[in-house]
Amino acid sequence: MGSTANNITTEENTTQAPGEEHDDSLDDGSDGEAWVFYRERKEWADITPVPQDDGPHAVVKIAYTDPFTDVYDYLRAVVVKGELSERALYLTEDAINMNAANYTVWQYRRKILRHLGSDLEQELNFCREMIEMNPKNYQVWHHRRVIVEWLGDGSKELKLTEIIFSQDAKNYHAWEHRQWALKTFKLYDRELDYVDLLLEEDVRNNSAWNQRHFTISQTTGFTKEVIQREVEYTKAAIAKVVDNESPWSYLRGVVQHCEGSLASVGDLWEWCQKMHDEGQCSPHLLTFMLDLMEDRMERQPDLRPTLLKRCLEICESLATKYDRIRREYWRYIERNLSHRFGA
Amino acid sequence: MAVLYFALSGLDLLDGLSELDKEERQHIINWIYSLQILPGNDRDEQACAGFRGGTTLASCRGESSCDTVSQLDCGHITMTYTALASLIILGDDLSRVERPAVMAHVAALQCPDGSFFSTRGGSENDMRFMYCAAAICYILQDFSAINTTSATKYILNSMSYEGAMGQGTHLEAHGGSSYCAIATLHLLGKLDSSLSRTQRERLVRWLVERQSGGGLQGRPNKPPDTCYAFWIGATLQILGALDYLDTAALRQFVLSTQDPITGGLAKYPNSNPDGLHTYLGISGLSLLRKDNLKPVDPALNISQQALSHLHQLHKNISKNSTVPC
Repeated sequence: MGSTANNITTEENTTQAPGEEHDDSLDDGSDGEAWVFYRERKEWADITPVPQDDGPHAVVKIAYTDPFTDVYDYLRAVVVKGELSERALYLTEDAINMNAANYTVWQYRRKILRHLGSDLEQELNFCREMIEMNPKNYQVWHHRRVIVEWLGDGSKELKLTEIIFSQDAKNYHAWEHRQWALKTFKLYDRELDYVDLLLEEDVRNNSAWNQRHFTISQTTGFTKEVIQREVEYTKAAIAKVVDNESPWSYLRGVVQHCEGSLASVGDLWEWCQKMHDEGQCSPHLLTFMLDLMEDRMERQPDLRPTLLKRCLEICESLATKYDRIRREYWRYIERNLSHRFGA
Repeated sequence: MAVLYFALSGLDLLDGLSELDKEERQHIINWIYSLQILPGNDRDEQACAGFRGGTTLASCRGESSCDTVSQLDCGHITMTYTALASLIILGDDLSRVERPAVMAHVAALQCPDGSFFSTRGGSENDMRFMYCAAAICYILQDFSAINTTSATKYILNSMSYEGAMGQGTHLEAHGGSSYCAIATLHLLGKLDSSLSRTQRERLVRWLVERQSGGGLQGRPNKPPDTCYAFWIGATLQILGALDYLDTAALRQFVLSTQDPITGGLAKYPNSNPDGLHTYLGISGLSLLRKDNLKPVDPALNISQQALSHLHQLHKNISKNSTVPC
């Protein structure tokens, strides 16, 4: 999960490496212009900066740059004062640029925006810039959601996520945001078309497959006709790249909406068998065949002896040839199936 | 605070805590407690309790501070969990933890749908904070702050068609959120009663399928990443299915992400190491029991030794109290 599972709110460290010629310590880190310290700005002369109190011996000692310390000392000062002004808003922008993960600064910024009755369209622009610079940061996406909620206008959200997907079509935050926008503002009209586009570009995009399932569940639902259609769609995707986990997973998910057995939808068993006969040995195909047979053995006890024998052969081929990395798992499945369906 | 936890728990698993002398240990314990927010008896104030992530705002509390400070200077659920975990690892007895306030902080963060926010000041809500809430309650042995029915419902609703959990309903199944979900159910004692045999089997299959080229990926068709050695490994361990992975190949992958010059583990081979991947890589390796590492508890992500210390604290509390906590 990396940064998506554990958003650590550490402050960014822009210390220069020893021996470097260029004096980075005066950069604000973004446009390379020399930093003008807040303590030297005339318009801030009335504020006494409040230093961070790490105690006599700091634990988790972070090597802050001078500009960083400068900005945050002034931020603390305005927070203590409770100042909710334009200049405080500007200060939060600097603080955010230095550490976009500091959730307190974002909260404070929202407080100021509300108090000033600021232009939220402009704030959306700021947010978009921050998202483009920090697409895997939780705070920027949360801020965007709040501003959009305040505006009650979700018209830009699909476009925003599409911009992010053009750089990383699997960005989890963007998908979460997109689902939220679709649900909140009922924007499903062209979502399946968009998913089609993404799958054209990359049929292995698991996020796009998930989005397909989501969109259908929120619109037509998985009716008999929809299930039929989706099965054909997925079979075509598998024909393009057989050894691709995503459509097999999706196929399983779709047919599970059926009331009848797994194999009752279309000709799934014959279709699998044909691929297998043609020498296709992708573990996903073999696993799907196991699932079809397991489902059959549940429903038709008289078929168990024949089907179990085939299942065990497939498990063996997976363990020894086609999916060796999961051999311990396939051995377990052999034992499990034998136990449940054996004599 | 999370950085401290990675460092301390990492050191602990490497059996390196003895490098810290008694004085240093106490100093760190004091620093952790200095980040605890001490509210009054007002219930609403208590909702802002818990532990801070760092000292950014600590110096703002004082005579001249105003409402803004108390609104912004709130505990964060992840920091509360990592603070408590760090205290236990250091051998502290948690006697300075303001239990009612911490419980009020956790309770105030639960949403109607069963999930949790991270902080009162406003945040996103998802499976990560659910896990932190469960861990805090387990450590303090008090589950009254959580509506466990709605929490369980949220978890089960997050199970996608793939058979594993996303961060929330309809979201893509993911290794990290699956860990948070299963560890939560386990800590709440509801794992066996919540998942059917079929659901459990499908989840185990999904987890085992994450092994790709030796390492573990977080989602299908993504590259393997060191931290999933813990997220996926620990989930399988809790489900009793860790041995279905090729543990030798996993170990090789994690070790291949080491930086031979600076040390530490990175997300991928030949990339920059960081605290999170170093710790989770070590913790993941500890699960495999092939390296000279102390055993880790998969549900709380602290050493078994630290967990024993916690269990001893639990025993002492129930021995000494005449009224249930």
